Amino acid sequence: MSKYLKIGLIVIVVLLLGSVAYAQDTLSGTITLWGWSYDSMSETGLIDAFEAEHPNVNVEIVVYPAGDTYQNLQLACSAGQGAPDVVQIENSNLAGFVALDGCLTDITDHVQPMLADFNAYKWSDAELDGRYYAVPWDSGPVVFYYRQDIFAQAGLPTDSASVSELVSTWDNYLTVCTTIMQTTGHTCFANSTATNNGRLFEIALWQQGLGYYDENGAVTVDSAENVATLEKLGEFWAAGVTSEAQPWTDSWYAELGGTGPDSTATLVEASWMGVFLKTWIAADIPGSWGVAYMPAFAEGQVRAANDGGSTLSIPAESDNKDAALAFIDFMLAQPQNQITQFAFNDFLPALETTYTDPIFSQPDAFFGDQTPRLIYLDVARQIPAANIYGRYYSLMNGHVATAIQQYSTGALSAQDALTQAADAIRTETELQ
Amino acid sequence: MTRRFTIRRVVEDSLLHLILILLALFMILPFIWMVSTSLKPISEVFQSPPQILSPNASFDAYVTLFTEKSFARNMVNTFVVAGGATALRLFFCALGGYGFAKYNFRGKNGLFGLVLATLVIPFGIMLIPLYYIMLQLQWIDSFLPLIIPGAANAFGIFFMRQYISTVPDELLDASRIDGASEFAIFWRVILPVVSPGLVSLGLIFFMGSWNDYLFPLIILKSPENFTLPLTIRSLIAGGLGRPVYNLQMAGSVISIIPLLIIFLVFQRRFIDGITAGAIKS
Amino acid sequence: MEIPLTPTSSSNRRAGNSAGQPGNLSQERSRWGLLFVSPFFLLFAIFGLFPLLFSMVLSFSDWNGRGTINIIGLNNIDLLIHDPIFWQSMLNGLWIFVVYTPIQIMLSLGLAVVLNSKRVRGFRLFRTIIFMPYITNMVAAGFVFQLLMNTRSGLFNQILGVFSIQGVPWLDTPFMARISLVILVLWAWIGYHMIIMLAGLQTIPQDLNEAATVDGATALQVFFRITIPLMRPVILFSLVLSTIGSFNLFTELVSLFPGTAGSGPLNSTLTPGLYIFNQGFGNFRFGYASAVAYMYFIIVFVIVLIERRFLGRDNT
Repeated sequence: MSKYLKIGLIVIVVLLLGSVAYAQDTLSGTITLWGWSYDSMSETGLIDAFEAEHPNVNVEIVVYPAGDTYQNLQLACSAGQGAPDVVQIENSNLAGFVALDGCLTDITDHVQPMLADFNAYKWSDAELDGRYYAVPWDSGPVVFYYRQDIFAQAGLPTDSASVSELVSTWDNYLTVCTTIMQTTGHTCFANSTATNNGRLFEIALWQQGLGYYDENGAVTVDSAENVATLEKLGEFWAAGVTSEAQPWTDSWYAELGGTGPDSTATLVEASWMGVFLKTWIAADIPGSWGVAYMPAFAEGQVRAANDGGSTLSIPAESDNKDAALAFIDFMLAQPQNQITQFAFNDFLPALETTYTDPIFSQPDAFFGDQTPRLIYLDVARQIPAANIYGRYYSLMNGHVATAIQQYSTGALSAQDALTQAADAIRTETELQ
Repeated sequence: MTRRFTIRRVVEDSLLHLILILLALFMILPFIWMVSTSLKPISEVFQSPPQILSPNASFDAYVTLFTEKSFARNMVNTFVVAGGATALRLFFCALGGYGFAKYNFRGKNGLFGLVLATLVIPFGIMLIPLYYIMLQLQWIDSFLPLIIPGAANAFGIFFMRQYISTVPDELLDASRIDGASEFAIFWRVILPVVSPGLVSLGLIFFMGSWNDYLFPLIILKSPENFTLPLTIRSLIAGGLGRPVYNLQMAGSVISIIPLLIIFLVFQRRFIDGITAGAIKS
Repeated sequence: MEIPLTPTSSSNRRAGNSAGQPGNLSQERSRWGLLFVSPFFLLFAIFGLFPLLFSMVLSFSDWNGRGTINIIGLNNIDLLIHDPIFWQSMLNGLWIFVVYTPIQIMLSLGLAVVLNSKRVRGFRLFRTIIFMPYITNMVAAGFVFQLLMNTRSGLFNQILGVFSIQGVPWLDTPFMARISLVILVLWAWIGYHMIIMLAGLQTIPQDLNEAATVDGATALQVFFRITIPLMRPVILFSLVLSTIGSFNLFTELVSLFPGTAGSGPLNSTLTPGLYIFNQGFGNFRFGYASAVAYMYFIIVFVIVLIERRFLGRDNT
């Protein structure tokens, strides 16, 4: 073989080998994450595991509370620069950013194969015109938390199945509340009037598949069904079984975590509330709380709704999208990694393929050895699609909360209050 | 001559002291709760009824801050930013305030109106354009935006103008007669006379800059560069991002201590060292 | 040099009049004035003017934060004139202004005077404690005030219970929510204003007070006849700041009323400052937010000008 041919062959082989090695891991550089829930990855070794798998990638986490995350993401998208590679966005705020043309990356091709693996309802906020812009992280299936000690005091059953039977509908729930108030003097749940934030109302709408707008985008805030739902909540105010505590305030914590006459008997809220009760709100009273299914709005209807839940998304400005996508895949689409996070923070994975894991059938000592996780995932599978979140959620929730405040304080009828809110929304969003 | 020890005076003094003590208690109550919370484990923070001193009190929160978060470094950052911002602001505002107070020039009232106007504009609508400017200057994630633009502080120039306007003109004229240049008048006559005002303003600037989070939030991007308010805000538990109250309170307590020391030091100097009536020549 | 006992007017003499200086010297001197304020305005032009102009343009658009800025003319103005929540926020600001400002000025001035004299033992300690709220983290403060104002078990109601006043709903009704907010704002800002007043007090010559006392004036007479008139520029300053502050409250709101994100019961504590921020960063309506900001600015600026007219002298 001629000398030149030999050299040429060697060069070709070296190039081939090099490109093969290069192709093994092309991912490199730093990816910056913005958000507030990454401790389920950093404290559990998942970040290290990811970096081990991709030795040339460095993960940097910047912790911001939700409001600051959204503000800074907005700034970056407006100015065209400064966005991170991965950003945490709650479902409630996601559609707003998806609608911000060119803010988030279109990852449709990547997520298409895994659409069916996640809770179906989680995708609606991530999607626009058939394209997808985020991957679901955790869900907020709404369940019924109840104080076993107070129920016992009121002569009611305390095991999960019986309680679920007892509060099978909102009407039955009202009966239970009245019983508790009469026999023990405890309030049933916190639902402040003048400072209502609308979340319970939204839960009640969600389970019926109702919402603030319809499939054509027209505003349905003042629909007959919505008015009826609000009036159903009104029955609880009329019966005097609710407390005025506002969520995330001192009096609310005192009600949930104490054993005095102030304490409240139940709480209809998403599964993430369980871990807060367990770790700090009611940490002193293990065994007092139990978990059951939330009431159906009417007999035979769905006993599932959603409150909260986050996603991860890649801003369009990111210059390391491949690594970012690999990160999101690793953390959210790998069942084992979602389970690791779940074990850390009890936030139900939106990835349904995890639901067969034995961790869900573990009894929880805090809840008196019940198995609430089985309830969480059962509920999550049944959550209907509802038009609550969406592009204008913040705006709509603001007006609806005001309407509820006006109704509950007796200033307006439910119809008038909701109509006023609906009209304001129509003016501001130019929807019908 | 005033009679010092009448009964009426004693009663007045006691009443005065009583009111002041009650007021002081009201002012300091939240701080006491902050310290108490910073020493509690997280599960006790929301106990009802609240305890002042928990039986499980410990300094764990403080230890965590310095070992697991870059708290010491953030504190240094905050010192640098607050110190630089204060110095620059004092100079610009004193100079500008003097110009407005003691000189007449065309457009003076219009310009001053503009200054007043910017005080009224809410910061929220300035965020996007400001961020954009900082991007163009490539000042994102540096301390420069926290020090330089703020020198044009409307509140500061307004204050210095009001303050300097109480200085009698005779003082200035006397120096002019003595042949001093305009800038020398500023430097040698005005500044010493208004030093109580400068110290007050300086204290307010320093504390304001130290505790500012709205602007650093949009400028500083790497956790090592954060100032203390940003670091404290990042002490949140995962999931809903609720504040980890004992850590945040510990952070706040540490954050206040340098400010307290500075205030105590300067209080002695500006009130007691420069007694009023030094306007003698 | 002798200081006259009556307060001299420190108004600027007309350029060219003082001691009969020739005109061109005063012209040169006025140039110095311009020179002195120019560093300030240079920075202002770069960092203040552009954002203001940009926002002004935005206020005629429907910009959502991204993409092209479409000018829609006076549409936003029409919207905001008919926006009941905007007017509610202005009303809230006005309410707070009317209630908070007089109390704050009297209290801070009174405290400054009392703590300026040697009459109070430990006056430095009191000053420090009163100033402390200004440097305290507002999140902490808000939470503690919730603790204090808890209708059932809060300290305030427990104390009031001793006087047979039961169950005041500090944070639950629109009226009380505003009162509670005023209390929180007073707590947070008295020290700050006290410092400003203290500095102002330093400009009053000690001999003035002494001479007046020698002449037989009581402390109150000294306060009203000497102190307050001489302090007018500083009081005006404090007044303007409190005015603007009342309409611009933000952090205080969110920490006291987290459930409603600062709006309070039935939007009773929502201020224009918070409303503007929410419209921009909550609802992606930056054009509208800017329009609201400029309308609010005009109204408050007019109030400030009125204050200056009444309280300022011709030059202040």
